Amino acid sequence: MGLIDRARIYSPWVYHLHCGGCNGCDIETLAALAPRFDVERFGIQLVASPRHADILLATGCVPKQFIPMVKRVYNQTPDPKVVVAIGGCACGGSLFYDEDPENYAILGSPDMLIPVDVYVPGCAPKPEQIINGVVQGILKLNEKATRRSK
Amino acid sequence: MVDHVFTILSIALIIPISLFLGVMYSFLIRKLSARFQWRVGPIVRMYGDLAPVIGSTRIWQPLYDILKLFGKDALIPSTAHKRLFTWSPYLSLFFSFAAVLFIPFPGLPLLSGTPYSLIIASYLLIASILFTILGPAASGSPWGAIGARREVELFLVAELSFVASLFVVAVTKGTLVISELAGFVGSIPMMLVTALAGITMFAAMLGKLHIKPFDMPEAECEIVAGPYTEYSGKLLGTYFLAKVFVLYNMVALFIAVFLPPLSSSVLWLPLYVVAALVLIFLLAVVHVLNPRYTIAKALMWYTKIIVPLVIVGFIAAFFLRVVA
Repeated sequence: MGLIDRARIYSPWVYHLHCGGCNGCDIETLAALAPRFDVERFGIQLVASPRHADILLATGCVPKQFIPMVKRVYNQTPDPKVVVAIGGCACGGSLFYDEDPENYAILGSPDMLIPVDVYVPGCAPKPEQIINGVVQGILKLNEKATRRSK
Repeated sequence: MVDHVFTILSIALIIPISLFLGVMYSFLIRKLSARFQWRVGPIVRMYGDLAPVIGSTRIWQPLYDILKLFGKDALIPSTAHKRLFTWSPYLSLFFSFAAVLFIPFPGLPLLSGTPYSLIIASYLLIASILFTILGPAASGSPWGAIGARREVELFLVAELSFVASLFVVAVTKGTLVISELAGFVGSIPMMLVTALAGITMFAAMLGKLHIKPFDMPEAECEIVAGPYTEYSGKLLGTYFLAKVFVLYNMVALFIAVFLPPLSSSVLWLPLYVVAALVLIFLLAVVHVLNPRYTIAKALMWYTKIIVPLVIVGFIAAFFLRVVA
């Protein structure tokens, strides 16, 4: 494994993409970054700009007004990148998603707009689950990078 | 001839040394601030069962961050002035690295004996920060522009205190060559003036290194990531590398100018390391204890406290020169 590939596993930077929803998953995501679980010891850092990110943590279901922003944040993240959907809403739209009649305000889960790599179900998932999801994301990130370099 | 060979060898040697120390310093600031906040921070010795998968230590975390950025795509916004946007990080890195060559390290005098090396080193450090303003200002992003503006405002006061405190020492000791400053131990009043200048220099360092009360240029989550908002991939990595060199430079310059006997001979290396660690510890303590100032408060703090202190230092230094 090359030095840059190793650095990619050692320093995943996450961007918190709040698509909509009730904030429950966001609180749990922040709990994973706070002193009790402190993911910084493994090099995981929360960054403020999607351009710095490797992993997008998408929480909540996407309101229709928010569709362009979600797409834009995804496009602004440089490759290789991974999207981790956190919570029931982000995994399948949960109770906000309706097929017939269609919900007037909510589109559904973010995977209807952007490719999602890892799903972390739960309402809201515990910080341990979120960390596990991010670890799965890191493995996928490495896979993507090696596929790209070939 | 021998001199030239020695200079070239020492330049080849200072590249890994400065990179190593710069990375160490940034690791220490991160680790110490994490410990002060009851966090673990980048881990020194990885848990036994995880070590084979994710590496045995994270001492090199700042270096891994930079290396990772070099392996990512660099996006250039369509609104940016492309040439300025892409060249600024490289120029910033170039100038911060060039400054490394003018600041002595124990046993490696490098180019610090060049006439006016104090002025050259401070100009190079200022130029490096200038390009962290120009690049973001050319990005076309409002967050980059706000970050660059805050950086300019901080730059005006922090650089003033930085340059002025260096010149207080230069006036006291009557020389503008860093290697001469480094070997010069004066009388007790001179030491007192140097200590005063050391305090103001430390305050200027806080502004230049964006240590917590003065981190408003890159105020995370407030103005996205400030100047670095639009940067990604290797351009961002280059900026971070430049920051590592600037951190090394500031610590090395502080030791060379304000703790004079420490930087002349290789025997002082252990004491140099101790002095650097103390300085980094102080920076980390200030970083943890303070909230972020607004830009107006930062300007007021500098203009009302630090600049008058520097002026007092100047008057005292001038008086000492005239009396001596």
